Amino acid sequence: MKMSAVTHRQGNGGAPSVAGATHAKAAVMHNTPTLAQRWRGSRNLLPALLFLGLFFFAPLIGLLLRGVLEPVPGLGNYQALFANSAYARVLFNTFSVAGLVTLFSVLLGFPLAWVITLVPRGWGRWLLNIVLLSMWTSLLARTYSWLVLLQASGVINKALMAMGIIDQPLEMVHNLTGVVIGMSYIMIPFIVLPLQATMQAIDPMVLQAGSICGASPWTNFFRVFLPLCRPGLFSGALMVFVMSLGYYVTPALLGGAQNMMLPEFIIQQVQSFLNWGLASAAAALLIVITLVLFYFYLKLQPESPVGSSNAR
Amino acid sequence: MVFNKGATAVLAASILAVSTSVAFAADSMSFVSWGGSTQDAQKAAWAEPFSKASDIKVVQDGPTDYGKLKAMVDSGNVQWDVVDVEADFALRAAAEGLLEPLDFKVIDRDKIDPRFVGDHGVGSFYFSFVLGYNEGKLGAGKPQDWTALFDTKTYPGKRALYKWPSPGVLELALLADGVAADKLYPLDLDRAFKKLDTIKKDIVWWGGGAQSQQLLASGEASIGQFWNGRVYALQQDGAPVGVSWKQNLVMADFLVIPKGSKNKDAAMKFLANSSSAKGQADFANLTAYAPVNKDSVSLLKPELAPNLPTAYAKDQITLDFAYWAKNGPAIATRWNEWLVK
Repeated sequence: MKMSAVTHRQGNGGAPSVAGATHAKAAVMHNTPTLAQRWRGSRNLLPALLFLGLFFFAPLIGLLLRGVLEPVPGLGNYQALFANSAYARVLFNTFSVAGLVTLFSVLLGFPLAWVITLVPRGWGRWLLNIVLLSMWTSLLARTYSWLVLLQASGVINKALMAMGIIDQPLEMVHNLTGVVIGMSYIMIPFIVLPLQATMQAIDPMVLQAGSICGASPWTNFFRVFLPLCRPGLFSGALMVFVMSLGYYVTPALLGGAQNMMLPEFIIQQVQSFLNWGLASAAAALLIVITLVLFYFYLKLQPESPVGSSNAR
Repeated sequence: MVFNKGATAVLAASILAVSTSVAFAADSMSFVSWGGSTQDAQKAAWAEPFSKASDIKVVQDGPTDYGKLKAMVDSGNVQWDVVDVEADFALRAAAEGLLEPLDFKVIDRDKIDPRFVGDHGVGSFYFSFVLGYNEGKLGAGKPQDWTALFDTKTYPGKRALYKWPSPGVLELALLADGVAADKLYPLDLDRAFKKLDTIKKDIVWWGGGAQSQQLLASGEASIGQFWNGRVYALQQDGAPVGVSWKQNLVMADFLVIPKGSKNKDAAMKFLANSSSAKGQADFANLTAYAPVNKDSVSLLKPELAPNLPTAYAKDQITLDFAYWAKNGPAIATRWNEWLVK
């Protein structure tokens, strides 16, 4: 979904851009191709469209239809959802967890991506491989390892107590803390990869020019470097946010029942109560809210997220 | 579009292959359960002897997924022949028309404990929710019944409770609050949630057997509500775990045949075999779950027998599966509201 939107955006090369560098590059591409020229490559989309249409959109539409057709046609399921105060709470939980996870993975992933870009080339590749390695390990195994580390009788609590820093075990699991720690860790690669690609593409001369013109290191960072990182930062953060909204395993294992997130609510309806109508209505609302957020994201982010690394 | 034709051909060929393999597999059936040691025991106690005696191959599949079961029946493409499900789901699914009625000319209904048999399902095994506690965490104090869960002064520490809105938690809260066992149903939800409110911050929820064992054995939870077989397994492993059978809450799994099963006759024979005195006893001896066949008790291993719910029949309170089958979804709504409040 994200990628197709990105390709559309790329067509509008003339969209107003804020950052100076992208502006210069956009100007180079400014030969205003005709509409036919712009869509020339679109036939290459066919296989992907066919695949998505058959295996994604068709089942999705089928699922959404259940929300208004089962058990009886009408909006009964949506009525039930809004009458259910638990649902609003679950929805709130879902978005706050996704927001927190995005925040923490950006805070942790940004310096990491920076280091990978700055260290000598061979080392950077090693670091990147280590980040990737964590993605290749089974999600379930990684989540259970967090349980072992974080629980009251776990490694971290035992170590802290042995050192005399705390005398009561900290409650770091079966609550919001556990979910945010576990999920931030899982999401970091998804922010580091796009961010690192963006940083790699930034011309170091631009930063140099900044300091020659008298910018302090802080000004240089906030006024020059950060705006240049924005495309990678935004696309990475969006990806993490949207993925977090639909995450099931980690919240189910590391969270407490009172932090129930939407996927767990949906699974309960589908599996325990065969209430597919209500489940698909809940899923539909999540999709709508996500699309609205995505729309605002595109509004705030006129330049293409991959533009600066692509235009080289 | 050469590519397209090729793809269609491949697709058609594979569909053909799948459908022929089904057509020629008349002497085989599938058995679906929850996986893990339970399904291993079901395979050893029921499927393997059954295949030897009848020449019907039993293909193991799983885990049980109610959504999948419904989808199969709805679409008319039923791949599962015998499915192990929870008792309240068996009754709910029967009411929704998702199950085949059983043929009691093949299955011997008289020998089965009437609590664990219905027109559309026969007990797979039964078990009890018992009060389990970590002796290392509680010291000398030995909790006696469900009231101990709500007495955080005498028995400090976290409480482990089953996290799904299904029979068990609400009942034990009402029992601890002084409701008589025969007055439990219909459940007084307000009263149950009010009682649970008193320990809400001390609860850790478990979603599966392995998780419950981990909580109890590690002392993460000092006391809680557990499946009897899981506590027994911990004791066998030498964990410092105690158990009280007072007011043990009986719950069961049922074996059902999804509507439209392609191997109905084989499935009926399988059920007759698995619910027989020997089938039930063999399974109980492997798992420490209790047999639903009344004749199985004498066939149990003597060292195991005192650790099964069958040995605590007087203290049993049977959860009302039919009540839950009917009211489960409504209770779940209240449950979720309370949980996230």
